Order: sequence, then structure tokens, then C-alpha cells
Amino acid sequence: MTNPTIGDLPLHRLRKIEIVIHAQDHQLVEDLLEASGIGGWTMIRDVAGMGHSGFHQGKTIFNDQTGLVMFVGVGQPKVIADLARGLARLFETRAGVTFLSDVEVMRSDYFARIEA
Amino acid sequence: MNMHAPLVATDSLLTRTEVAGLVALAARTVPPLWPLESAIAVNPLAGFEHLPFAQAVKQAATLFGARTSLPVTGWRNLVERGRIDERALRDAAIGHLGGVYGAMINVAPGVMAIDLLMARLLEEERSKTEDVASCPVPDAAFIAKWCAAFFDQSISASPMPNRALGLYRAVLSLARYDGEYASLAGRQGQTLLLTVPRDPYEAIAEGLAECGEGREPLDHLSSLVARLPGWAGHIRWRTEHADRERVTSAPAGMADLLALWLLLERADALSEPAGHKQTTAAGHWLARHFALDPNRLDAAKTERFNAIASLDDGALGAIFMTAAERTLSNRLVPKLTGAARSAVRDERADAQVVFCIDVRSEPFRRQLEQLGHYETFGYAGFFGLPMALHPAGGGHRKRLLPVLLSPQHDITEAPVDGKTGEAHQIAAEESRAAKASDLFDAAKLGSGSAFATAEATGPLAGLAMLARTMAPRLADRNRNRREARRQQSLEPRLDCSVSNARGNGFSLSDKVGYASALFRLTGMKPDTARLVVLAGHGGSAVNNPYAAALDCGACGGHAGGSNARVLAAMLNDPDVREGMAEQGFAIPQDSWFLAAQHDTTTDAVTVFDRDRVPQSHRAELTTLEANLAKAGKANRARRATLLDRTPDDLLTGAAHWGEIRPEWGLAGNAAFLVGPRHWTSGIDLEGRAFLHSYDWQQDPNGEALTTILTAPMVVAQWINCQYLFSTIDNDRYGSGDKVTQNVLGGIGVVQGNGGDLKVGLPRQSLFTDDGTAFHVPQRLLTVVLAPLKRVQAVVEANDILARFFGKGWVQLVVIDPQTGKALRWREDCAEPDEGTIIHSITC
Repeated sequence: MTNPTIGDLPLHRLRKIEIVIHAQDHQLVEDLLEASGIGGWTMIRDVAGMGHSGFHQGKTIFNDQTGLVMFVGVGQPKVIADLARGLARLFETRAGVTFLSDVEVMRSDYFARIEA
Repeated sequence: MNMHAPLVATDSLLTRTEVAGLVALAARTVPPLWPLESAIAVNPLAGFEHLPFAQAVKQAATLFGARTSLPVTGWRNLVERGRIDERALRDAAIGHLGGVYGAMINVAPGVMAIDLLMARLLEEERSKTEDVASCPVPDAAFIAKWCAAFFDQSISASPMPNRALGLYRAVLSLARYDGEYASLAGRQGQTLLLTVPRDPYEAIAEGLAECGEGREPLDHLSSLVARLPGWAGHIRWRTEHADRERVTSAPAGMADLLALWLLLERADALSEPAGHKQTTAAGHWLARHFALDPNRLDAAKTERFNAIASLDDGALGAIFMTAAERTLSNRLVPKLTGAARSAVRDERADAQVVFCIDVRSEPFRRQLEQLGHYETFGYAGFFGLPMALHPAGGGHRKRLLPVLLSPQHDITEAPVDGKTGEAHQIAAEESRAAKASDLFDAAKLGSGSAFATAEATGPLAGLAMLARTMAPRLADRNRNRREARRQQSLEPRLDCSVSNARGNGFSLSDKVGYASALFRLTGMKPDTARLVVLAGHGGSAVNNPYAAALDCGACGGHAGGSNARVLAAMLNDPDVREGMAEQGFAIPQDSWFLAAQHDTTTDAVTVFDRDRVPQSHRAELTTLEANLAKAGKANRARRATLLDRTPDDLLTGAAHWGEIRPEWGLAGNAAFLVGPRHWTSGIDLEGRAFLHSYDWQQDPNGEALTTILTAPMVVAQWINCQYLFSTIDNDRYGSGDKVTQNVLGGIGVVQGNGGDLKVGLPRQSLFTDDGTAFHVPQRLLTVVLAPLKRVQAVVEANDILARFFGKGWVQLVVIDPQTGKALRWREDCAEPDEGTIIHSITC
């Protein structure tokens, strides 16, 4: 399968993972991301939205541990698959959702795996 | 088929990320443990808060080998002293038996179930239970020893080698030379040292595959974490709360600790977990006491008899605790309902003073209010400022905020205008003193210089020791003078922020926001008095590893004066006032804000930046300071009675290096009251209540109430649970006797010469010298003065609140301000007696 392009600009196919979890559990996900060797991730604090148990408010003023946070990471399919395996363990006892999808990026080296 | 492969590996070895997920979850078995310099209260059972309270206590007791309750003799002492009402105990016993019918049912002729239970609670013969500190077993002692060496904060003369490799790999590299390891792990252990993976996650995966047969991996790992809760808690603090530069030279995560435990387990070197034996053989005593023969009872009566006879100490303790909680609510809630419609005094106050919500503020406030028309408020002691302060002399930044928050502003301590020379001199003196101390430590520990140093400095040290022992207040005078000079020459400067990647100073909109928050959250009206004092607090203790525990928890275990100075400076800034006026908080031009610090050990109040007070306000300040001193004197006299000492002796204790109980701290804490001060000002709360000011009429959408309940109340709950569990099992959840404690590497205390870092509070902070509990172990009672619907909406919208109130970690009573009716939040497991989640209170 050939890599996609935009005009002359070559793109690289990678996988993306998005994780939404209670802010109080954010460290669990960070530990997992570090162990997976993913090159980096984005954390979006103070996420709100509708879920099975009703509307989730954003965080409260004096407590960063309330509300939801969202992590976004991009990496090689194997790294993302490993990460998802770890997350499956977390979600046995913690609430949260994960989305996996294919993405295209311009700099594949930017998302290279960090060896432990 | 359009399906992906299963995400969880089916191989016998878990993947690295699966292990990471399990390790992260297992780490939650223990809470983080902050180092001594910023010790703050945490709930030792924080990892069990998803469970109903009673279940959590039992599960944790099994895992940590702890008691589930104070011994029955301890509870009886509290009943005898009137701290628990005997009628409340009887009511709690009736409740345990399923109500009046179950309690009054006959077990034998003339003997009712309640008689049996009350006899067990109050009369059953008991041997006096002595708290004996548990000794570390060899496997735990081995790991604790290496943790102590690895986590040392540059205090030991010979640092552990290979720390850059991480805890697990560093220990692997040295264990072969450790005789203790050889005797523990034998030949198998030596082989394992050569063959185990060097990556802790892979080592855990192998260990679980080899030793985890028939066990859930998460339960397995959690039980290992619980074997050394202190060191595991320290690791959590390092990975989640410490500034990165403090820990990068010696990296360690929970995986390192668990990999070491599994190394020992694979070598068959694990000891049996500790456990507490429960005494339950009360049948003979009951039969003898009531002169009845259990063999002659019919089946139904035998069942009832056995049910009561088999109650263990944990179950009896739960009844006592319920009684303690009812004693408080029976005494307090009727007074609060009676005062619900009390009128507010409209005329302008002589001065307003904003204190921390800390339970120690309440008696002081009451004394002050009696001396003039002083209006007082309760607000979180960090004054809403998420900031870290970089001290002038260098060193680590101080996180002056609750651990629920991350610092958003880094500011520096800088010279006060016009005092630059003096400030630099102080900074130079501090730097010299630090270097001299380092030099002394190096000489003291050096193999060639240790004896010479002792010879040379011994006489001086002896004189200093004599002075501190014979005349501690005199010896302390120099320190106080230095501190006063420092406060006058250096201040946290809003315009002198640290420009680094961490954060920045305060923008104008930040300042307006933080200044307005004081009014939004406390319900304080903008027509302020001419003088408004923001009073942080801190304690005074010498040679006390728990000194930080006497400081402000909301300021991350530091004194709160710096936060008060920063907010006062904001509130005096004309630009900030203009911004506030645009938001509807127009402060009168003649209002001046001042910062102060209440010393909770001496009850002295230090007012900062007095020379900036306008001439027009000086006379009022003089009067206020005189009244603060009078209030302090009266409060000190009140506290002296509780400590069974003279007021003057408390001042000596604050300066004495041998003092083991400079104050009672937050012992006795039991309630968290949310409402205006005029609601509670007529009630003597005996220093047992956190008071957060709140006006429901100024909070139509419940935002302020949400903030109060999800942050200050959460901190209060941590404090409450720390005191509760440290009291019921001072060995496992507390830190034991201070007399046998040793400070370790600046990070914590151990009992004796090693073992686990102790969590929780020392015995002397909770018990009197004769062993009676001064702190009554009971759960926090939160009382909110606000319309029921608003409180209900706030609780239901916030998971943390629904969990605390629903699982019984905190009890919630709502008092309707219009009807004065009190309603209690029903726990999830309770019978739905009225079909709603809130029902009428039955005090």
C-alpha cells in the first residue's frame, strides 16, 4: 500500500488513540503512556460531555481532580495496540472511553517510539 | 468478518503495558505520602473510597493487617468521660439490632437483646489492650532498608551507588553483596539476580506468571504494595506530586518496588502477611453475666444470642462510632436549626478578619468577636491562590496550595521597597548558614573528621543544648527576631514572577479573579470595613518532625502568611479594585486590606506590612492588634486547660526542643459547617468544626457551593480520616510513639532504626498521656445552610460528592434557611424510608 500524499507532500499512515477518563485517574493513563514508549501525547484538561451516567461537568475551581481529561496520542500501530491492551486492564475497574483510528501525519519520525 | 483481535493478550505473560496498567491500579492501594517538610493529611484508606465506609474499613484492615476500630476499652473511656453520650450509644445499639422491635425482643426470660448488647458494649470483661509497635519482618526489612538508602536526600555520607539506574536495577546490582539477601533468598535468589529481566515491568510479568497462579494479578500486586504502605506512598508522592528536578537523579516508580517484592516471592522469601486477631468468644461471659443457660434456649433465641455473642470488636466499635457521631449531631444540629433564621447585623463592622477554615480558627474567632464589632469569615487558608513561592535564599520552591491543585503562578520572595540592603544581608546570612551546616554535616560524617568535629564542636553544642533545655524561650528569642526581620525585609512579590516553563506571575485579570473569588465564595459583601485582615496560620514547634502538620493543610503543609500577603496586595491595588467594581464588587475607597498570620501554638497574631497602613487607619489597627492579643490570651488559656498545662507553659512548649505535644493540632475535628458566620457565632463549637463562610442568596446557581464542597471539604475529609484512622490503629495507620521514632533522610519517620516509613499521626497528637483518646474517631459531619434543591443538584452533579455522602465517608445534613428544617442525606445502602435520597433528620 502506498503512502498518501497531499500534492507533493508525502504523508505517513499511523494510528491515533484518544482516551477520556476521570481527572482523578489521569496518572494511571500517564503511567501507561510512558510504559508504552509512545513518543508523546496531548492532554486536554477540563473536558465535559454527556455519558451513560448523565452530563459530566468540567472541573471545579479549586480541584484539578474533578471533571474529565482527554489524552490524544499518535504512534506506530504496534505501540497503539499495546497501549490499548494496557487500557483494557484499566477499564476493568475504572470508567473511561478510548477511540482508535487511522491518521496521516507529515513527520513520522516525530512519533517514533521511545525505547524503555 | 469485520472484527479486530482481542485487546487483552491471551499469552501467559502479560505485556509491558498490561503490567503498567495493573501496577498503576495497584499503586492506588495506598495514598501518596508527603515528605516531612510539607506534610499534609491524607486518608490512609483513600484507595478504598469507592466502597461503602464499613466495607472499606474491613477490606483495608485485612490488607494492611490493621484494626477496624479503637479497642472496646478505649471507647468505654470516652463514654465514661462524657465524650460519647450513653443514650446515643443505646440508640446506636438499637439501630444495630434492627430497631426497637429487634432490640426489645426477649432472648431469655427478662433479658432482651438490647440488654445483651449493652452488656457487651459496656460491661464485658476486657484485658487492657496495649499498642505494641509491629516489628518489620525480614523481607519487608530488606526492601525498606534499600528504599531508605535509595531515597536518601543527600544526607547520608556514602550515597547508594547506581541510583541513576532506578530503584529496582540499583538494588539488583548490589543485592549479591548483601548478606541479608543471601540468607533470605538463598541460592535460588542468587540465580534470580542473574536471570531476572532488568526492566521492572517485564520482571513483574515474569513474577506474576510464576507466582500468581490462581490469583487475580491486580489483587496480587495490591497486596504487595500494602506490605510497605509508607515507602509505596513515598513513591506515589515522587511520581505524582514532586517537582521533577528533585527526583530525576534517582528515578523510581511503583513498578520498581513491585519488581523487588516479586523477586523475593520468586525466591520463596515472602513472609505471611500481618493480621489482627479479633476476639469473639463472648458467649460464656454473657451466659454467666445474665445467669442463663444457652443450651436451654429455643432455636430462634439461640440464634439471637449467638448473633450478639459473636460480634467482634470491629462490629462493637462501629456501634460506638455511630454513637459518637450521634452525640455530636444531637448536640449540634438542633442549635444550628434554631439559629438558621438568625438575623445579620447590618452596620459596618469595626474590622473584618478572614481566617482559614481550620478547626483551630473557630475558638479564636469567637474570642475576638466578643471584644468588639468584629466580623469574621472562614475561607480556604491558601486564599484561593494556586501559587508556588521561590524563597529568597534559594532552595526548593514551596507549593503554597492544596495538593488538589497544581501551581499556576510561580512568584519569588523579593526585598520590600526600601529594604534591599537588609534583604540582601539576610539572604547572604542564610546562604552562609546553609553552607556552614553542609560543611558541619560533611565533617561530622567524614570517616577522618568525625571524631575531631565532635571534639571541637561538642562543648558549643553542649552549651546550646543546655540553653534550649533550661531557658528555651530565651534561646528562641534570636530565632524569633530573625524571623521578624525577615518578614519586614522580604515579601512575596506579585511583580517579580519567575519566568520559566512552569508558569508565570499574576496578570491583572488573574488578580481581579482571585480577589473577587474571596467575595463570591464566602458571601462577603463588597461594602467592607475600613480594615480587613486576611489571617493565614502556622504552628510553632522546635525539633519536631511533625512541625509541618501544625501548619496550614490548604497551603500544602506550610504557613499561610505569604498567601495572605499576596491577596492583600491584590486587594489594595487600585487597578484590581477597578476590575472588581466592573464585576459588581465595588470596594469602598477607605477599606485597607492587611495580611496576618495566626500562630496556632502560641495564639499570637503577627500583622504583616504594618508600615504601609495609611495614617488614617493606624489608630484602628492599634485597637485591633490589642484585641487580637486579648483574644489570643483567652484562647491560649482555653487550650491550656485541654492540654492540662498553664497558658505560660504553652509558650515554653512552642520553643522547647523536647516538647512532644506543642498543641492538639486538629484533634477533635468532627464537623464542616457551610454558611454565614451569624448562623454559628452563638454556638460554642469547641474547636471541632471547620467553618467555611457561604451565603446561599449570593450563589443562585450553586457554583460557590460546588467549589466549597469539592475542594475545602475534600481537604477536611482527608484530615478527618487521617485523625480517625490514626486513632483506631496508631501502629498501622498512624506513626506510633514519638519517643521511639527516628527521622529518616528528611523524608519521613521510622520506628526504631528502620522499617517502613510511618504514615499518619503520632500517638501524642491523638492520645493523652494516660492513653485515653483525645480525638474521638468519627466521620465528618457536613452541615450546609442552603435550600435543599440547590444542595441536591450540586451533590448529584459531582461524582466525588455523591461518593462521599452515598458511601458514608462523610455525613451530610442540609438545613433549609427558610424553614429551619434539617434533612440528612441517606447513604446508598440505607433503607429508603421515605423514598427519596434525603429524609428528615432524626436526632
